[in-house]
Amino acid sequence: MSSTVAHADHGHAHAHHPAQQHHFDTMAQQKEAAVIGMWLFLLTEILFFGGLFVAYMIYRVWYFDAFAEASRRLSLFWGGLNTAVLIGSSLTMALAVRAAQTNKRKATVNWLILTMILGCVFLGVKVIEYEDKFANHEVPGYNFDFSYHERHAAAEGHAPEASEHRELSLTPEQLQNTTQLYFSLYFTMTGLHALHMIIGVGIMLVITWMAHKGKFDGVYYTPVEMAGLYWHFVDIVWIFLFPLLYLVERHT
Amino acid sequence: MSDHASHGSGHISPISLYITIFLALMVGTALTVGAAFVDLGSLNFPVAMLIAVTKAVLVVWYFMHVKWQSHLTKLTLATGLFFLAILLGMMLIDYTSKDFIAMPRPTDAAGQMAAPEPASH
Repeated sequence: MSSTVAHADHGHAHAHHPAQQHHFDTMAQQKEAAVIGMWLFLLTEILFFGGLFVAYMIYRVWYFDAFAEASRRLSLFWGGLNTAVLIGSSLTMALAVRAAQTNKRKATVNWLILTMILGCVFLGVKVIEYEDKFANHEVPGYNFDFSYHERHAAAEGHAPEASEHRELSLTPEQLQNTTQLYFSLYFTMTGLHALHMIIGVGIMLVITWMAHKGKFDGVYYTPVEMAGLYWHFVDIVWIFLFPLLYLVERHT
Repeated sequence: MSDHASHGSGHISPISLYITIFLALMVGTALTVGAAFVDLGSLNFPVAMLIAVTKAVLVVWYFMHVKWQSHLTKLTLATGLFFLAILLGMMLIDYTSKDFIAMPRPTDAAGQMAAPEPASH
């Protein structure tokens, strides 16, 4: 740090970057403060989601059979596709930050737009999945009916899926009650995650506009990097949600 | 930007690194789906979590640039993970080991699910 301060042209008219706030000695120090501040915010987010993960784990241990059975109602195709889409959006976000670092304004804007598009694709797939849950009476509440799916499949001449799986230790009444817990957690966790995605796209709209207006350069691009940290965090939450919700027990 | 700054939080990674991490994350996703269809007994869950943690570490370390951040930033993150471990660990130990809460045991009801009947309600 001291070598930066003692830099030869310190004190020159152009020594201070226009984005440098007066209470910071150097741009590097200012950046460091922003990074630590952002990580502190992300820690509160980790523990925020952590509470839900604890609730999930306790009920999963208590009602494992119900979680295994309810988890099979989720579509592996849509869930897997969304995982790939979100990982792809993390790559485009990382490339957006890199373009900002290397002072490529046009590339920064393009990568950010692509990231937002992938984020919207994710949310669109989530709408398809939620719609299916509403249609099959799998939304917790008054109309929740776990056996609707099988009755509906039987009525259309399909073999009931349950017969392919191992024998469960639950009566239909127990299954009706305990799978409802699973779907409550499913909607709370994926819903909160989707809310973060919507906020993330909103943040990125502002950042993209700022980048387009030329607010950033190779030295000052902190907002792009902070938006990136937020976006990657949301990606990590999904990296855990996918196996926990979609892959409880698929091998029987 | 001075050379000094490029060793700090402003480290610029090659595009090839980001592509490599992206591919590793995709392979990890395929692995976790594949592993879910293999009967590993009680190891299914640990394997799924091991893959998820590995993927998360790759994102944090490379995409989120923590590898090139200061010790203070790394310590900040480690503190949060420590408290998350306490939250998860202690709560699970408590709920799975104590008997003061009437623990629901759905397995106590003898298996009647071989031929599922439509729930009447």
